[in-house]
Amino acid sequence: MNFEWSEEQDAFRQTLRDFLAANLPDDWEKFSEHGPASPALTAFARDFCKKLADVGLLFPHWPVEMGGEGLGPWEQQILAEEMWIAGEPRGGQYMNVNWIGPTLVKYGTQEQQARYLQPITEGKSLWCQGFSEPDAGSDLASLRTRATLTDGNYVINGQKIWTSYAGLADTCFLLTRTSDDRKKGITILLVPMDTPGITVRQIPSLIGEGDIHEVFFDDVTVPEGARFGDEGQAWEIIAYSLRNERLGIPRFTLARAALDRAVAMLKDAGDFAREYVRIEAARCATLCEAAATANYAIVQKRVDGLGVGPESSSARFATVMCERAVCEFVVEFVPEALAGASPYLKMHHQRGIVAGIASGAAEIQLNIIASDVLELPREPR
Amino acid sequence: MQLSLSEDQSQILGFLDGLTKPYASVPMHDHSLALTSGELDAALVENGFLDVMAEEELGPATAALVVEKLARLPFAVEAAASALVRRLIDPELPRPLCLVEEGQLRKPVRFLADGATVVVVGPSGVRSFTVSADLIGAPQEDTLYAYPVAFLTGLPDTLTTHDVDPAEITRAWRVALAAEAAGLLGAALQSVVTYVSERKQFGRHLATFQAIRHRLAEDQVVTNGVYWLAIRAAASGSQADAAMAALHAQEAAKRVTYDYHQFLGGMGMTLEHPLHLWTYRLKLLTAELGGRGANALAAADALWG
Ligand SMILES: Cc1cc2nc3c(=O)[nH]c(=O)nc-3n(C[C@H](O)[C@H](O)[C@H](O)COP(=O)(O)OP(=O)(O)OC[C@H]3O[C@@H](n4cnc5c(N)ncnc54)[C@H](O)[C@@H]3O)c2cc1C
Repeated sequence: MNFEWSEEQDAFRQTLRDFLAANLPDDWEKFSEHGPASPALTAFARDFCKKLADVGLLFPHWPVEMGGEGLGPWEQQILAEEMWIAGEPRGGQYMNVNWIGPTLVKYGTQEQQARYLQPITEGKSLWCQGFSEPDAGSDLASLRTRATLTDGNYVINGQKIWTSYAGLADTCFLLTRTSDDRKKGITILLVPMDTPGITVRQIPSLIGEGDIHEVFFDDVTVPEGARFGDEGQAWEIIAYSLRNERLGIPRFTLARAALDRAVAMLKDAGDFAREYVRIEAARCATLCEAAATANYAIVQKRVDGLGVGPESSSARFATVMCERAVCEFVVEFVPEALAGASPYLKMHHQRGIVAGIASGAAEIQLNIIASDVLELPREPR
Repeated sequence: MQLSLSEDQSQILGFLDGLTKPYASVPMHDHSLALTSGELDAALVENGFLDVMAEEELGPATAALVVEKLARLPFAVEAAASALVRRLIDPELPRPLCLVEEGQLRKPVRFLADGATVVVVGPSGVRSFTVSADLIGAPQEDTLYAYPVAFLTGLPDTLTTHDVDPAEITRAWRVALAAEAAGLLGAALQSVVTYVSERKQFGRHLATFQAIRHRLAEDQVVTNGVYWLAIRAAASGSQADAAMAALHAQEAAKRVTYDYHQFLGGMGMTLEHPLHLWTYRLKLLTAELGGRGANALAAADALWG
């Protein structure tokens, strides 16, 4: 075992840092407070991602045949870390390169690839993920948004909720129900967001502007060719996509960076001498590092070409633990940060508090760890 | 021991319920991060609710009960410092009363506004001044607390020195903090209990998952603990009681602000559900008086020297 980054990996990280230093505006920190889904950051990201693409840094981890540089999972990790620490200047486009693109390549028709891949690689498109519904959150398989095939078109009726980026997205990766079979009755449609019959409502939130929405579908009609994969294949496809999605956000790096900022503020104020503050800070740092190592062990599995199993839930929960601890540390000892004194820490807080909810509730991860890692007998039904 | 409410206390709390009824729920379509009401504040003052501590048959325990009940409202009102601390310094100090730790001007100050009284409490004494706009920092958009907060830019050249023991004022402040937290904890718990009892996933109410039931049940235990420790600390006037009440309040606040938003799932991230109106006040209270570590040390000092 070797816990050091290689020279090439260090150099790659440095390249990213140099790029960020050269391409983020001076007031970036204040600006990033807008949140990754805000109109301001989305507009910024269109420019920024194009610049990243120009120098081969938008999707360097994609295989060469997809137009990427063929870099490995470690480089993908480093890329995600540096972007996330910087406040995710790619906005919602991080999703495109993490999972939408790779999923398109694996399951898309030639037509779909021709239509959607190029805008992604040029940093031009913004997708949203239409999975959750008012009555189908943790129990995603109970989703009810209907798609009915008639005369070569799917007619969609129903409602999605919590959809990030929906207000500005051009395309929705939409889960619909095409038959009553719980999991095998779910079908993916790629739906242009300007299709008549789609209404988007932004939900006022604690986590910043533009992040969560309700999306209504009233007789929304798309051609059969908008179907992604076969009818009923959605569950298999999203299992693949979500594996990529969940590894996509290295929250523990931002949590650690936020913690370091908080400690720096305490030191500046002469308030970092008290033992209980130091103990809490050290506890938080330890949780961040525990999350980092748990996540790195998963990256290693990918490097080794092994399947990633339920241990990814363990890594994810370790991340929730560190996010929680750092959020609480800031609230307890640097409360001014959330009242305007540190846009960076406020940004972290707003992203940190969703760690246990977005892309699947923490309790569901715990159930997976209990059943599939510990192999505990299941609760009787 | 006599732990049931006296007749006077029951009457006062009943009257308070009636008076605050119009403020017991969030106005339709209001998605603010913090709710305040000048009319509510005025009604409390006019009806003497913030002065019950002065009445001999009522005293500080009743004041704590009033503070606890008011904190259950979705509206934030400056009651704790006025009802439980002001009288020990100077009953005539103009409200709102903003308590500030000496040497901690970096922290946001709850209810700070032109004309408020700022009381600086610390080892060197208890000093106050009426704050003017020039000492208040530019308003910050979007703070993440469900209190109106602002920053002091400095202290005036002269402050009024009060001839009181700062340790005694700190004690009362701890009681005020705990009593307010008790109400916030109670209301937040109630709101989450309602939600998980109504929301279904996997064909069953969220409330039927043991993972949720046990944590909510523990939350009930600590919430109940904060209530009793706060009222006892108000009644006893003991340093140890006050420090333990504040410590328990902050421990509980930290615990539930995570749990409760978690149990609401995506709904817990919105401003459409009122939960934040209690939890995002609790968050700021966890930072007060040095946080859990400082209050734990104060408790240990008071208990064992
Ligand atoms: C910031 C943010 C962005 C999001 N973006 C998107 C998006 O772009 N697209 C999309 O489709 N969705 C998105 N989501 C939705 C997210 O996937 C859901 O919120 C999540 O799956 C939980 O579903 P829910 O909100 O309906 O909560 P519920 O399923 O109602 O669960 C609420 C809580 O109940 C508890 N719980 C639930 N089930 C169990 C159980 N079996 N055992 C024990 N406890 C349980 C958990 O504590 C859970 O948090 C987003 C959510 C957030 C917060």
